[in-house]
Amino acid sequence: MATVHVSDLRKSFGAVEVVKGVSIDIRDGEFLILVGPSGCGKSTLLRMIAGLEDISAGRIDIGGRVVNTLSPKERNIAMVFQNYALYPQMTVAQNMGFSLEISGLKKAEIDKKVAAASEILGLNPLLQRKPSQLSGGQRQRVAMGRAIVRDPDVFLFDEPLSNLDAKLRVQMRAEIKALHQRLGSTIVYVTHDQVEAMTMADRIVVLRGGCVEQIGTPLELYDHPENMFVAGFLGSPSMNFLRGKIEGQSLLLPDGERLLLPSLPKTGGGGDIVVGIRPQGFAVGTQDGARASIKVVEPTGADTHVLAEIDGTEITCVVNDRVEFAPGQEIRLSITSAKVHFFDPVSEVRLD
Amino acid sequence: MTTVAPRIQEETLQIKPRRDPFLIILWIVLVTFALVWIAPVVLIAFTALKSNAEIMATSAFTPPEAIAWNNFSGAWSRGNFETTFRNSAIITVIKVPLGLMFSAMAAYALARIRLRFGKLLLLFFLFGAMIPFQVMLAPIFTLVNGFGLIDTYPGVILPYLAFGVPYQVFILHGFFKAVPKELSEAALIDGASHVTVFRRIFLPISLPVLAALLILDFVSTWNEFAMALVLLQDRHMWTLPLGLMSFQGQFSTDYGQLNAAIAMTVFPAVLVYMIFQRYFVSGLTSGAVKG
Repeated sequence: MATVHVSDLRKSFGAVEVVKGVSIDIRDGEFLILVGPSGCGKSTLLRMIAGLEDISAGRIDIGGRVVNTLSPKERNIAMVFQNYALYPQMTVAQNMGFSLEISGLKKAEIDKKVAAASEILGLNPLLQRKPSQLSGGQRQRVAMGRAIVRDPDVFLFDEPLSNLDAKLRVQMRAEIKALHQRLGSTIVYVTHDQVEAMTMADRIVVLRGGCVEQIGTPLELYDHPENMFVAGFLGSPSMNFLRGKIEGQSLLLPDGERLLLPSLPKTGGGGDIVVGIRPQGFAVGTQDGARASIKVVEPTGADTHVLAEIDGTEITCVVNDRVEFAPGQEIRLSITSAKVHFFDPVSEVRLD
Repeated sequence: MTTVAPRIQEETLQIKPRRDPFLIILWIVLVTFALVWIAPVVLIAFTALKSNAEIMATSAFTPPEAIAWNNFSGAWSRGNFETTFRNSAIITVIKVPLGLMFSAMAAYALARIRLRFGKLLLLFFLFGAMIPFQVMLAPIFTLVNGFGLIDTYPGVILPYLAFGVPYQVFILHGFFKAVPKELSEAALIDGASHVTVFRRIFLPISLPVLAALLILDFVSTWNEFAMALVLLQDRHMWTLPLGLMSFQGQFSTDYGQLNAAIAMTVFPAVLVYMIFQRYFVSGLTSGAVKG
């Protein structure tokens, strides 16, 4: 277990800079998730912490020790890869014991540690199998076992659940979180799936284009996104953005429709403004509110997703009831949520 | 359901699977080529078992009436097989594993270790595979002679290595490149050095390719003639293919003994092929479907 400090880290491939001065302080025992769209530099950042990529500039410090030039094995980290990266010719037990074997540990000691790790992960009946004889979820568990046996300072996960089917992913998500609670180790976890980030992380780092957009706990980020990118990235379905002017207590849309707002921004009320409303914050009816037309209705069973168009902007509403609308039908929308977010339309920064 | 089932069965019985004409043509071509390849093998086998008189009297593809085993013992002593067989065995047994080891290590370094001039180096290796060795015979002779290695084992083994390594590096480099990079990264994080990654991870998973290269290299080294002819002047250093020359007399040729000698020469290569052919087949397809 250890802290990790990343300060002003940069990485360039040729003339292209993919990580542009990232600074993150990871606390001891923290579960930190790096999230962002593809190409945002999150995997590169993780690989730099692991020592698999050189650092162009900046500093990485693990457990109070600068590791910039240290090789991966000298950093006392363990990594779990998206494609598992199990050694195909070795059994599960050999896979898990490989690092201990290299470090020159005695056979009895290795067996003991492998047994302890496989106990935690429920791998005992599979120890003599080869990776090719395992299912995706089992392989991922072996990859985690390989990390656990080493008792590393930091665990690094590079999109470990992306290759699993949806059901297994939910299950493994809970298992990884339980594992973290049990081991109390520092974890840096990369994913592009915001649900994974929201459900598992102690803190989330949202990255875009090699820069940190915001760092905070999942609910901080959900409730107080600092800009439109973070607001749109977290939450499912993602936040709706409506552009217009504040007039009185309402948002006046360009085509003249009005939406009554539960609150108003303290600053920047004069000109154009972007209002962010979560899909769960709308009421869909036929009487009061702004006019909109139905595009698609998606029943999920528990609730219904209504895709509607208001003033040329497509928005998603999540309705708890089972509503029946026909495409093209005119409806009325009003805001029920007490919480709406205001953003500057140019800088996309939050306005309070 | 029960009433419908028998009718479906009847219908399926009547429909004969239509054969793809392309497949039929392919089969015909295959059989033709197989016959062309098998003919000399049959000829050698039959001739090796016939006496000289029978060879002259019967057609080449007539099976032998009285099996002339003494062709083999005659060929063994006349071709000086005791010496040539030993020389061939020593050269092959040293050269083939050594060459394969060098090639695998070079291919690993080129595929997995970031080198400043890695691409250039690979190109250099490929260039080596492109030069026909006939062109190099004279310079090699001069070089080996300069080192005073004519008529010695190192004098043949070193040039053999130099000519064998490039294409092996080429094939192994392609294979190593296709191994997911996470596999070596995981091992590096696990604390392995490059030597360990190579020995414990890459060698075991490339066994099929290595077996395939071993067979190819064994056969080509075992049968090599031109370079051996130039570099080995002393009869006592001759290899098997050179030994076969003694059957070609100026005035007569003993075909029975000659073919018996050929059969004995080919036998070890066939044996090696049969032992490793299981890997050989899977090695050739290993690039196509990642297993």
